[in-house]
Amino acid sequence: MTTVLIVAAAAPKQPAVLIEALERFRSRGARVTVACFFDAADLPIDPALAEVRSFVVPAEKRDARLRRALGRAEANRKLWLHAQRHAWLRQRYRAADLLVALDPRSVHTVWEMAQRNTRAGAHYGLVPAQRALDAPRTEPVGKRLERQMTAVAGIGTRGAKRAAVETVRTTVQKATGQRIMGNPAGAWFWSRAVAAPRVPDRLRSKLAVRLHDSAVKAGRPAVAARTASAAVSRISSAATRADVLTKAAQAELALGHVPSGLHEAIRAQLALADARLAKDPKKAAAAVSRAWSLASNRVLHFDRLSSPMSDDPGAFLAPFRDSAAARKLSEPRGRLAPAAPAPTDRPLRLLVTTLINDNFLQEILERYRAMPNVEVRFLDLYEDPATRPLALSGSTVMEHLLGAESSYGAKIEEWLRPHLDWADTVFVDWCQATAALFTLHDPGTARIIVRLHSFEAFNFWPHLVDFSRVDDVVFVSEHLKDLSTAVLPQLAGAAAPRLWVVDNAMDLQRYPRAKPADARFTLGLVGFSSVAKDPRWAIDVLRKLREHDERYNLTLIGSNFNNRTSKPAKDYGRLLAKDLAELEPLGAVRRYGQTDDVPAALQEVGVILSTSVRESFHCGLVEGAASGAVPVVRDWPFFAGKPHGARTLFPADWMVGSPAEAAERILAVTATEQAWAEAGRAASEHVLKTWDWSVTRADYDRLLLGD
Amino acid sequence: MSNRTVPLPRSGGGKRPHAIYLAIGFPPAAKSSAYRLRETANQFVAQGWDVTVVTICQQAWEREYGLDHTLSEKVDPRVRVVELPLIREDLETDIRAFTEERSLDPAGWIKRLRKREQKAFPEPVFGGWRYELEKAVLRLHREHPADLLLASCAPYVNLAATWKLWEEHQVPYAVDFRDGWSLDVIGGGEAFTRESVSGRWESTVLEQALAVWCVNDPIAGFYRERYPHLADRVHVVRNGYDEDSLPDISGRSPDPAAGLTFGYLGSVNFSPAFLESVLDAWRIARRDDPLLARSRFEVRGHIGAGAAREANRHMDLLKEAAVDGVSFGGPVPKAELAATYGSWDALVLMLVGGRYVTSGKVYEFMASGLPVLSAHDVDHDASNVLAGHPLWTGAVGLDPHRLAHSFTEAARLAVKATDADRAAARDLARRFARPAVLAPAVHQLTELVRPTGAGPAAPATTSATGDVRP
Repeated sequence: MTTVLIVAAAAPKQPAVLIEALERFRSRGARVTVACFFDAADLPIDPALAEVRSFVVPAEKRDARLRRALGRAEANRKLWLHAQRHAWLRQRYRAADLLVALDPRSVHTVWEMAQRNTRAGAHYGLVPAQRALDAPRTEPVGKRLERQMTAVAGIGTRGAKRAAVETVRTTVQKATGQRIMGNPAGAWFWSRAVAAPRVPDRLRSKLAVRLHDSAVKAGRPAVAARTASAAVSRISSAATRADVLTKAAQAELALGHVPSGLHEAIRAQLALADARLAKDPKKAAAAVSRAWSLASNRVLHFDRLSSPMSDDPGAFLAPFRDSAAARKLSEPRGRLAPAAPAPTDRPLRLLVTTLINDNFLQEILERYRAMPNVEVRFLDLYEDPATRPLALSGSTVMEHLLGAESSYGAKIEEWLRPHLDWADTVFVDWCQATAALFTLHDPGTARIIVRLHSFEAFNFWPHLVDFSRVDDVVFVSEHLKDLSTAVLPQLAGAAAPRLWVVDNAMDLQRYPRAKPADARFTLGLVGFSSVAKDPRWAIDVLRKLREHDERYNLTLIGSNFNNRTSKPAKDYGRLLAKDLAELEPLGAVRRYGQTDDVPAALQEVGVILSTSVRESFHCGLVEGAASGAVPVVRDWPFFAGKPHGARTLFPADWMVGSPAEAAERILAVTATEQAWAEAGRAASEHVLKTWDWSVTRADYDRLLLGD
Repeated sequence: MSNRTVPLPRSGGGKRPHAIYLAIGFPPAAKSSAYRLRETANQFVAQGWDVTVVTICQQAWEREYGLDHTLSEKVDPRVRVVELPLIREDLETDIRAFTEERSLDPAGWIKRLRKREQKAFPEPVFGGWRYELEKAVLRLHREHPADLLLASCAPYVNLAATWKLWEEHQVPYAVDFRDGWSLDVIGGGEAFTRESVSGRWESTVLEQALAVWCVNDPIAGFYRERYPHLADRVHVVRNGYDEDSLPDISGRSPDPAAGLTFGYLGSVNFSPAFLESVLDAWRIARRDDPLLARSRFEVRGHIGAGAAREANRHMDLLKEAAVDGVSFGGPVPKAELAATYGSWDALVLMLVGGRYVTSGKVYEFMASGLPVLSAHDVDHDASNVLAGHPLWTGAVGLDPHRLAHSFTEAARLAVKATDADRAAARDLARRFARPAVLAPAVHQLTELVRPTGAGPAAPATTSATGDVRP
């Protein structure tokens, strides 16, 4: 009887294939055991075909030695450490004629088994194993004995070597760990050791990254920066220097810090890009891409209550403006012919395009689809799975822009040219990949309009847009226009596109509804899923109000806070969860959840809040105001004190500077039912006559039709 | 074809001229290109050449496409075959041959291997063979001076050996580029720029080539446009079919009451999504057409390689479709091709790519005389080849509903086809019989080298297609 042992690290994706192989093994009279590193119940197989047993050592049965070994071992070796612990499996592999690894992760376990059973064949994959079964190997006894001796010696040597390597590794890990780097003497020692002469770059860079990481984790960012800087000054290769600085910055970003060496890392990558630009545009593009990844990291701009980009765009982007490679990405390539005037003998062909997000397009599409003098097409670059990947890779666009011609460029041309040929006007919503792709090639005579909302200003995409091929850029507010023009100098000057500020298209007529009297004490916040919305500011306001009157409560409308985006988001989410755990049982806070019927949700809200640190417009606030809730708007800190911001967008009496001011305004305006209703009515009237689609659509007509 | 000639045959002295033929995939490799390689070598011998074929060891093919010794039976015995001990290490499945490092991280090990391979020559998987191939051609030339080297790609690393022999001994050469290198035949467009390392290799080697063969007009067009000054050296030498693969077509009478058998024969080298579309179409057709509900669909060929052989998503899809009368029967040895085609009533031509892809099997399918159902893009070179075939369903793309209609149409054609229809289909394919395609191409190459004692003239070809003039 031939015995076969199959080792599987994960439940096979092709169970039918395994079952068929087991049937073949059985037809050849083999007895098969499948040892799996997962729950055996996940592999329901007829016991007549094979015995299926799991060899995972349950967490509660792992002794300290195994835990330690697992902690140190490489991923695939862990399976073998588990396997060694089972007497039944030992017995099976020692008796097997054929050892089979079903998947890549199980190869090492079978390899180890094969060292201990030198008689058995050891194969990777079911078909090779079946072949081996059909044509059993015959080999001289001497050869097998030799293999046995080698295997036994190998097991001993590897064990000793592994123990020695582990000891050294553990010692080095401890010696360069947080505790040592948190200690002034340890930090002093290592910051000199890492800069010692004649250390190879490869070793120095690894050590520098490790020391930097430990120092940051020990809460010593200055030590971290000093250590990295000392190492870098000794590294001769520009690529390794950039790599060390980038890894150091990434480590800090992962912890939610603004890296002390952020600009140094960005400059190092850009220097590398500039040096490679002429000879190797592909590598240059990779380096610029890394620089932009650092500069656009969400920890810097979205998961904190401020952003270096909005604080001082010029200073933040200076390294990019100094870099030839980065400048080349935005270089104007112009167009052969200007946009043609709108046709007079046939309907205007309007292409509305976006990537995934069409939230702000519904009213626009509906209006122009209904117009007899406009023919509308809608294109979501994400829709076709075949072309979708072309729209998702910024680094590929960079590669094309730095290398001029590429097969990627040809594919974009082939994809978008028919749309450009068809359209008279292309309305690109969101200044991101869509805008970059539509300006990658000369758009012919199509008029290109790009609308920038908000997040794009903090991202790299607008820097890949060729604005010399854009006719009009639309912002949804003055303060976003201010920020964007500071970020993108190409938006100024004689050849720059026309700049417009056009409000978001919103149908607000659906919102006004009679509110119950007790809505007076209900504050509402629409959208609280990100740090930028700062829902804890609303909680602060609520706490202040409840010190006066416990009837005040807060309704949070929308999807839950997303704490998965970064460490700062996680930290913020933890604090918010703590607030909610305290206030929800008291009935002080209610999470309404996500709803398609926002007007109904807002009916119960008496005071609508805008607590964000950054908004382009804040539709949720305006919808709340339309519903008759009294608006209370925080002066969005990203734009506070600048020429334009929430204070120039909304009436002065809506604005507050702090939670205390907000509480004060709310107490005053909700003091009586009549005062509250009156203020709500005034707000509703204001927003309906200012921002309702019946009013703002004229701006779109002007933009799109020239009316 | 160009008048460019190379005046000096090297083997001289009244002996037969000698060609070194870099033909990795030569029989007994059970690879689809083996037929073209075999016919090319046979044609050279028939036209008066000594031929030394350079390929890799048989053990290497066991790991990949397998071996089919029946393929070697039709190799002219005068062809000398040199098998180099080169093997794809990435496809090793004997875990005893693994180092501990490889066993710990099989994927990482292969990734590092790929990097190493490309240091020698910019081609993943095969780049590492460069120096062995170079050494081999130099040795073979020393042993028996060559008048011509013909390199068949892929693998493209053959170009390195070709160039080496040219650099060191100015041995004239031609390149059978088949699907080309700098052309992305599946996606269309350029696979790499002229400035890239691969681009530099390609342009350097093609610069001195006597002739560059491609398998269809769109690929030849791409090369003529890419290297306008070489345009007259670029020729279309189509793939073809082998007479001995064809079934007997007379007196067939499918039995609609028992149902029909549809067949696919070839490597399953398309995506799972592609296969899924065809299987969905098959299911729809069976739901809507009682004849198809009684019918079967057999898939034969290679699926996966190495550890993933016959253990991938494709296999899973085929097994799931077993309830719908679909079966997978593994590869078919060359000697059994005719019988396999003979057991089927209609053929399903599943092909990836578009206008740049012809594939070899389209010719065989065409010449079989059986109805052919096209499961490929409408704008595919196979459509050009099949145009005029009386038992062809036409290409409708890969939408399952439209393909389902094609299944119904193919079933209808299978039932109503007469011997005359089948003979007409086969006649249409005649111009693609391998000797008809390759004899003129080899002859023209022979003319270019003008060795003394070269064989008799072969039929002339059209300059555009390499097809025999009517």
